[in-house]
Amino acid sequence: LASTMTKQQANWSPYDNNGGTCVAIAGADYCVIAADTRMSTGYSILTRDYSKICKLADKCVMASSGFQADVKALQKVLSARHLIYQHQHNKQMSCPAMGQLLSNTLYYKRFFPYYSFNVLGGLDTEGKGCVYTYDAVGSYERVGYSSQGSGATLITPFLDNQLKSPSPLLLPAKDAVTPLSETEAIDLVKTCFASATERDIYTGDKLEIVVLNADGIRREYMELRKD
Amino acid sequence: MSIFEYNGSALVAMVGKNCFAIASDRRLGVQLQTVATDFQRIFKIHDKLFVGLSGLATDAQTLYQRLVFRHKLYQLREERDMKPETFASLVSAILYEKRFGPYFCQPVIAGLGDEDKPFICTMDSIGAKELAKDFVVAGTASESLYGACESMFKPDMEPEELFETISQALLSSVDRDCLSGWGGHVYVVTPTEVTERILKGRMD
Repeated sequence: LASTMTKQQANWSPYDNNGGTCVAIAGADYCVIAADTRMSTGYSILTRDYSKICKLADKCVMASSGFQADVKALQKVLSARHLIYQHQHNKQMSCPAMGQLLSNTLYYKRFFPYYSFNVLGGLDTEGKGCVYTYDAVGSYERVGYSSQGSGATLITPFLDNQLKSPSPLLLPAKDAVTPLSETEAIDLVKTCFASATERDIYTGDKLEIVVLNADGIRREYMELRKD
Repeated sequence: MSIFEYNGSALVAMVGKNCFAIASDRRLGVQLQTVATDFQRIFKIHDKLFVGLSGLATDAQTLYQRLVFRHKLYQLREERDMKPETFASLVSAILYEKRFGPYFCQPVIAGLGDEDKPFICTMDSIGAKELAKDFVVAGTASESLYGACESMFKPDMEPEELFETISQALLSSVDRDCLSGWGGHVYVVTPTEVTERILKGRMD
């Protein structure tokens, strides 16, 4: 009797969650973007060696967690749009410009979203570090640091404690940038992931860290617990 | 909304060198409205045993009354205080009695056992014990607390350092949870004394 009156529900979902965590921290003249390399589905591990980080422009790197098929599609769309921009303007896109493009791209699919939780990191037009954080449909904000993904709820309070970002409600508006040195920021990121790996089953295996500064882009790796 | 998220709570207990600390937030809400900013979630059973109760506030208060009653009976019969390990088993049994109509509480138990060895444990609402050597967390802010404690904890901290660590972990975690906050209540217990302190954090 009850079965005739309930709303019809799909028995197949187009989405899946591949887990993982991403973090980005902006400094005075650098930006650190990091993500773990584990890709899961349900309680299984698909691979221990999958990069969630994508270089979109010379000074702009994106890390995304969520449904990696949608992430891959999103990266392709943004790279293609960047190539077109380069052809039309004869220059690379700046990080704030890419920030806006990502927001618009996500909202374009407002009614069948990219299941992708992104953090965009890079250097702004003045060479200062910038981090933009997004939800799945394109709402975004420039911040001093951010975390997305399955370990975000574990990492964010710790970053709040260590970085004490000024509130966006303060007047006069305070800079959203961290007073840490580059090495300190990298160590902080490593600590965050080591802790998140302990308590989040979807985070682990390896940590990929990308650092952007005036000298260019650098990549480093750190082993994490594999259980 | 889950029944465990009706009132909002944050609880954490940590082990130090021959001491322990147990801390909670002070908010009592009815879903999104704050109703009290001085709500007590941590109760003393005896000088070396404290219990914190997160989850539905009415069940926390009722459970506390039942536990105090059982402990007083124990004191009359045994002419001594209950050991923390024994108390944990008692709480577990009382919760499991209500297996098919449970108390919507997650307790955090902290005490000094034999030879003043610190003991902490938590359990789910039907009495599954989880012993830990470092820290235990409970409440709506538990995920944030896990992250903060995992990063900030180190073993064998002295009482002053333990107080600082647990306070920082609690305040950072509740600041990311809408349903807990309005300050903190921290107890640091050593074999010789109990220090109770109120923390002032973001009052929202």
